[in-house]
Amino acid sequence: MSTCEMADVKSAEVTLAPKARAGVINPMYDCQPAGAQFAGIGVKDCIPLVHGGQGCSMFVRLLFAQHFKENFSIASTSLHEDSAVFGGKKRIEEGVMVLAKRYPELRVIPLITTCSTEIIGDDIEGTLRLCDRALKAELPDREIHLVPVHTPSFKGSQVTGYAECVKSLIKTLAKKGEPTGKLNVLTGWVNPGDITLLKHYFAEMDVAATILMDTEDFDSPMLPDKSIKTYGRTTVEDLRDTANAVGTLALARYEGAAAGEFLRDTHQVPHHPVSTPYGIKNTDDMLRKIQEITGKEIPESLVHERGIALDALADLAHMFFANKKVAIYGHPDLVLGLAQFCMEVELEPVLLLIGDDQGSKYKKDPRIAELKRTAHFDIDIVHNADLWELEQRIKDGLKLDLILGHSKGRYIAIDAKIPMVRVGFPTFDRAGLYRKPTIGYRGAMELAESIANAMFTHMEYTREREWILNTW
Amino acid sequence: MPMVLLNCDTDIPERQKHVYLKSPDDDPATCLPVANAPTIPGTLSERGCAFCGAKLVIGGVLKDAIQMIHGPIGCAYDTWHTKRYPTDNGHFNMKYVWSTDMKEQHVVFGGDKRLAQAINEAFDQMPDVKRMIVYTTCPTALIGDDVKATVRQVMRDRPDVDIFTVECPGFSGVSQSKGHHVLNIGWINEKVGTLEKEITSEYTMNLIGDFNIQGDTFLLQKYWDRLGIQVISHFTGNGSYDDLRSMHQARLSVVNCARSSGYIANELKKRYGIPRLDIDTWGFGYMTDGIRKICAFFGIEERGEELIAEEWAKWKPQLDWYKERLQGKRMAIWTGGPRLWHWTKAVEDDMGIEVVAMSSKFGHEEDFEKVIARGRDGTYYIDDGNELEFFEIVDLVKLDVIFTGPRVGELMKKMHIPYINGHGYHNGPYMGFEGFVNMARDIYNAVNNPLRFLAAQDIRDPLPLIMPERLREAA
Amino acid sequence: MNTMLDERVDELLEYVEEKCLWQFFSRAWDRQENIDGVLDQTANLLAGHAPRLATPMERLFYADAKIMVDDLHSRFPWISESGEAEIRQLLDGLKGRLVENVITKSTNRELNQHLY
Repeated sequence: MSTCEMADVKSAEVTLAPKARAGVINPMYDCQPAGAQFAGIGVKDCIPLVHGGQGCSMFVRLLFAQHFKENFSIASTSLHEDSAVFGGKKRIEEGVMVLAKRYPELRVIPLITTCSTEIIGDDIEGTLRLCDRALKAELPDREIHLVPVHTPSFKGSQVTGYAECVKSLIKTLAKKGEPTGKLNVLTGWVNPGDITLLKHYFAEMDVAATILMDTEDFDSPMLPDKSIKTYGRTTVEDLRDTANAVGTLALARYEGAAAGEFLRDTHQVPHHPVSTPYGIKNTDDMLRKIQEITGKEIPESLVHERGIALDALADLAHMFFANKKVAIYGHPDLVLGLAQFCMEVELEPVLLLIGDDQGSKYKKDPRIAELKRTAHFDIDIVHNADLWELEQRIKDGLKLDLILGHSKGRYIAIDAKIPMVRVGFPTFDRAGLYRKPTIGYRGAMELAESIANAMFTHMEYTREREWILNTW
Repeated sequence: MPMVLLNCDTDIPERQKHVYLKSPDDDPATCLPVANAPTIPGTLSERGCAFCGAKLVIGGVLKDAIQMIHGPIGCAYDTWHTKRYPTDNGHFNMKYVWSTDMKEQHVVFGGDKRLAQAINEAFDQMPDVKRMIVYTTCPTALIGDDVKATVRQVMRDRPDVDIFTVECPGFSGVSQSKGHHVLNIGWINEKVGTLEKEITSEYTMNLIGDFNIQGDTFLLQKYWDRLGIQVISHFTGNGSYDDLRSMHQARLSVVNCARSSGYIANELKKRYGIPRLDIDTWGFGYMTDGIRKICAFFGIEERGEELIAEEWAKWKPQLDWYKERLQGKRMAIWTGGPRLWHWTKAVEDDMGIEVVAMSSKFGHEEDFEKVIARGRDGTYYIDDGNELEFFEIVDLVKLDVIFTGPRVGELMKKMHIPYINGHGYHNGPYMGFEGFVNMARDIYNAVNNPLRFLAAQDIRDPLPLIMPERLREAA
Repeated sequence: MNTMLDERVDELLEYVEEKCLWQFFSRAWDRQENIDGVLDQTANLLAGHAPRLATPMERLFYADAKIMVDDLHSRFPWISESGEAEIRQLLDGLKGRLVENVITKSTNRELNQHLY
């Protein structure tokens, strides 16, 4: 056995099962249309039009504002009672035309359905064809792309809704043409800080990439001229040329890989799914994959960055993190990726909570297989989970040293007095997290440091071996 | 022409009926904005849905009821962690939300069984809680689940629980307002009069239309305690389900938010002969009037005067300090509806502030009658204002501060206009005497924020930034 | 004489518009009831009579009227010098104007809906 091979220390049990209850107490995710809206705002000159009741967009806009501390433009067809009876076709036609006329820069309108309009059964594709004709007649100088996005709220979650909208945008807009030599990058649901870091990697490797969706400017400035630049940067042209890329790098299995499969099957663009680059090894794998696809070398600078991160992690791992029990909840790609990261830094992710019901898909996830191979402690993976599952297990005696998750679970940590580090979406109760990367070498390092600092603060407030830090 | 067609509305000229610019010679009969009317699709209106009007605004405030939302997960997720209404039992209402997590098979085969299962589970998981409100949503209404029958069955199976059903899917009505209405009328029809509580004072009232935002209810409760008035029920700030079943026992209904809760006060008057007294609880002058009226009703004027004298002695000098420094500041209010008329004259009288633009999401024409009667000439009064209209109005009126929601607030920040949360407050409570000092302080801190001056500076500009020498003084 | 009466009614109207939420209740009949109830109680108090407090509604109108009377005394010194008949005339004038403003000429589409 070579020294760098992980040995099976003991056969620990890793279970994967849905939560036992039917109903939900404290949901982990929003519904499909919310996810679709997040994908939609990543496109430039685009205003998603949500076909449903007004709450379906108003609250989601508020949610985005809470997380990013920014405003995003999302419209509603304002479905009222008469549409519920007679159908909402007229509302779509009027909504599209009003948007087109009042927003002269507008080029894309994703029409995002909801539970109500899917049940009513409005003919979305047919209505959008009528809208398209009306737009050409009334605004002949404009080219406005109408994108049907079917996201009934009673299926999947914000995770699948995000994936569905990315796929619908590509399906509608991608068009075969001249090869661009660029690499499509499906980022999944990440923060502006992650996008900045990804762009940095592509620049260092001299790879031309199309970021889907480019949300870097969701962190946008206050400017002397008062202009507002809070919008997605992925253009119609970017989406069109996804069909002409050298390949698609899909960084998230559940949040966009479907679009990569579509491009492979329809436009023969090679599809390269990788594990989301949380932690060192996943980032290594991603960079190697980029090298493999593009033939570009991994530069010295990234070896250096990797070393800086490892150096920082080594200060923390076996002294502070080892044997510490962690619960993680959030998006599946995030939770599984962070579980792998935890293993790298000797944290023990004993409870993983994933919030929707794609149980059969999770069974095939290679990251879960890896956890089964490498864990020397028991791990419960609960899917279709809610946050009550976490709260209840803690109340039933589960001992945790750390919770990793988004702000909606804040009271679990507060009441149980367990240190918590905010990750994922939304993180409205901590400042500026959207600006920080969680992926990549730097993300791993910054997350580990946040975890350490949260633990240190907790040690001090609870007088729990706080004197250890008297010298470090 | 008193009604204004803004440039951004050229393509939707019907918006003219919703935007009013007040001038002294207007005939009131021609200048009331049309309100509570359908939204124009695609306008980027600020409105929410009827479901949220019932759950988020009223029902979800209660401190001791499970909020079971029968529908897909989003309706529950979205109406959780969006409000600041604490309770005296550790914020049970803000910590939890419940959903039947409706899926496709329930849409196809009906969701009644799922609802029963989720209700029973919720009671089993939280055995100390015996009260529940069940809400329908768009899909459960469309597929026609018999929610009330399911609820009756559960109540037969569990005699110690009581459940109230609210049937107001998101698409009903034109805004949140419909949900307020459905909950009000449903509650009076089904729950008021089903429980008698112990009466401990000769003076009893319901406090209707205050939702304990950042502790408003707690603050006002100190006044009622000092006056010796028993508040039978709070509709619904820090409110309890069972207290609201006893609303019929009060001698008086005191109404603050007439928009969300006026219906139940009207019905209490009609059915039980309980007089409805509308007051404003924001502002020194208004709060004073309100206390005087309540005390006059009960014949306890002396207690009232004592309380008012004490509160004025304590807080008025602080308010005046801010008033002196806020003279002539220009403010906009873009909130739900009632706060427009509650605040416009109060901030003018008590703080010297001019309110120059107001927009209401879900106000009715009655709310516009009130705000136009109280508001200034030269001020814009807008029903269901939308994003492009906001930009245009901001250019027209020049603002020092805006009271609105966080999302519009972020938009205004980019335009160097400080925002204060007009729904959840920045650092409240804002009601009562102490509260209005808090509000003045938040405004003072906002308008004197150095960052907005710094933001206006282009560092490439050869002329150095001219900052006011001293923005602030020690308070 | 009439001009002065009109002017004074205008002043009273301005006060009521600014201060009194009871004029803007939800339905026409509530508005009428409040206008009659509060202004009758006001006239009564201004004339120096004891308030009528027999029913809950009378107590309510008294509560609103009492504040109004105090305000009128401090805002309009002439009110103290007016005789009972003159006050009656003033408040009748005010009543007429209020009914016109908030009921007859109001374009509020909900005023006559029969349910709340």
